[in-house]
Amino acid sequence: MKAVCWMGTSNVETLTVEDPKILNPHDAILKVTRTAICGSDLHLYDGFIPTMEAGDILGHEFMGIVEEVGKEVTNLKRGDRVVVPFTIACGNCFFCKKSLWAACDNTNPGAHLMEAAYGYSGSGLFGYSHMMGGYAGGQAQYVRVPFANVGPLKIENDLPDEKVLFLSDIFPTGYMAAENAQIQEGDTVAIWGCGPVGTFAIASAFMLGAARVIAIDRIPERLEMARRFGAITVDYSEKDLDVITALKDITGGIGPDACIDAVGLEAHSTELQGLYDKVKTAVMMETDRPIVLRQAIQCVRKGGTLSIPGVYGGMLDKVNFGAAFGKGITMKMGQTNMHSYMRPLLERVEKGEIDPSSIISHRITLDEAPEMYKIWRDKKDNVTKIVIDPWAETAA
Amino acid sequence: MGMGNPPDRSTYADQTPQTGRAGIMLNGRYLPPPEDKDGKQWVRTSALVMVSAEELYEMWRDVAKAPLWQEEIERVSVTGAKTSHWVMRSGDDGARIEWDSEVLNDEPAKRIAWRSIGGDSDNAGEVIFEESPTGRGTVVTVLQEFRMGKLTSAWETLTGRNPKQAVIENLRHFKALAETGEIPRIHGQPHGPRGVIGDMKRSLYGETVATPEGKERIAS
Repeated sequence: MKAVCWMGTSNVETLTVEDPKILNPHDAILKVTRTAICGSDLHLYDGFIPTMEAGDILGHEFMGIVEEVGKEVTNLKRGDRVVVPFTIACGNCFFCKKSLWAACDNTNPGAHLMEAAYGYSGSGLFGYSHMMGGYAGGQAQYVRVPFANVGPLKIENDLPDEKVLFLSDIFPTGYMAAENAQIQEGDTVAIWGCGPVGTFAIASAFMLGAARVIAIDRIPERLEMARRFGAITVDYSEKDLDVITALKDITGGIGPDACIDAVGLEAHSTELQGLYDKVKTAVMMETDRPIVLRQAIQCVRKGGTLSIPGVYGGMLDKVNFGAAFGKGITMKMGQTNMHSYMRPLLERVEKGEIDPSSIISHRITLDEAPEMYKIWRDKKDNVTKIVIDPWAETAA
Repeated sequence: MGMGNPPDRSTYADQTPQTGRAGIMLNGRYLPPPEDKDGKQWVRTSALVMVSAEELYEMWRDVAKAPLWQEEIERVSVTGAKTSHWVMRSGDDGARIEWDSEVLNDEPAKRIAWRSIGGDSDNAGEVIFEESPTGRGTVVTVLQEFRMGKLTSAWETLTGRNPKQAVIENLRHFKALAETGEIPRIHGQPHGPRGVIGDMKRSLYGETVATPEGKERIAS
């Protein structure tokens, strides 16, 4: 089959590899019908996430048709149409029983690596480094889905793939970010990063009762998309614009009730600190560039909540924890507990409350993926979301 | 005698620990695991398993099935009511190391202690099954001791794991098998060319050790 393989930093290739096979009794094999490139795939592309190996198949947002099931999979059969959550969960351990699906104890074959780095291991993820399990991802024609008895969501309506594909990660991730923001009726929520997760966080914040959402970015097409979803926008790259002043101005000096960092470890800045973090990460004195995190800690109102769906990988430098303490803020973060959100959000899509496909800007083939990774990283060509048809020979 | 103060006798497991709570607490105080010294290495590790102590005890006590969840164990034959013969792979060239093992303490649903009684290995261990004090499942604690010898060096040089990590991984496999009926694995999945660095990383990350086969669901 064809698959998109990580071959090193800034080096992705579409290669012909073996087809996947059933390895465990709860496995299923899917024929992938649609898959997508996630913003967090860029952290792998840019070499920020450790424990990638050359040859790893990328992709954690995908859906497809069940081709084959292992002997213990009783809920699915050949021909079923499913969306697969990017976090893999066993359903039986202490954490799964508490619905902390992303903390599952039993799905990460590389658990000792994450244990060494983080103290404990989280669940396995598709196509996201060996510390997170080393599972082959879904930017491919076929994919093996472990614990298929627990994760995949059956799609029994006739909605097109594009409207349900994002239940695999970014819609639930944006939704959990808004839920983690502990929004109360009438709240103002500030969201950094108007990519796909930020956009779904905007939509979700309104679903959860936010009165106003302020979206912060610098890319014109992303700010435009944020306004389309109902947010007020702040372009941080504008001359003389200071984000904290802007947020104070908009909120009558009180600050946003909640802030959401939908950017994560590779934030950009137009200020001097942007250069500082570039230098420190380049010489390995820091692993992440926590520019948005610093700003969000500064901006959130006293007693407010900071929600972090943006990915962080390791050591941060110069984070003003005193400000977090001084204002008594709450921070909530982490990989999405996917399995809790997929069905309720599918129902919202079915009812027509939201059309997730409206963020798609590019529809491509597997062969075009390596070039699109570059365009996606460089934010060229008005790109907002890339979807791959693994069986198409030419671009739509 | 507490575990902070290892016994003088040649193995730990030939005496019953008098501590409660799987040897981790004594009179309300936490006891650190015994120190490595005089060529003796200790490892203590624990896991919370959402399966009853009875079922976990049965699964551990069925030593013939240990190859399903213990790394590099090729075969275990039961040779008597308390004795068994263990065969371990030690490398790709078909080499093996073998030893006999004897159960010293066998309390159904509570604990099993064992030691080697000849062969290529000098090891002793104990596993304790206890209902979690907060009612969350069963806490399984393993205390194992090795003397440096053929076994430890084989483990270390040929499997890419030190014996301490192997004990930790084996408990992780045991828990996964007990809770889900399988052990998570990636060996055998597709990938592009690994190249020299990719192969080095695989070895560094412990991925050259074969994941035990698993099977046999216990939890429902």
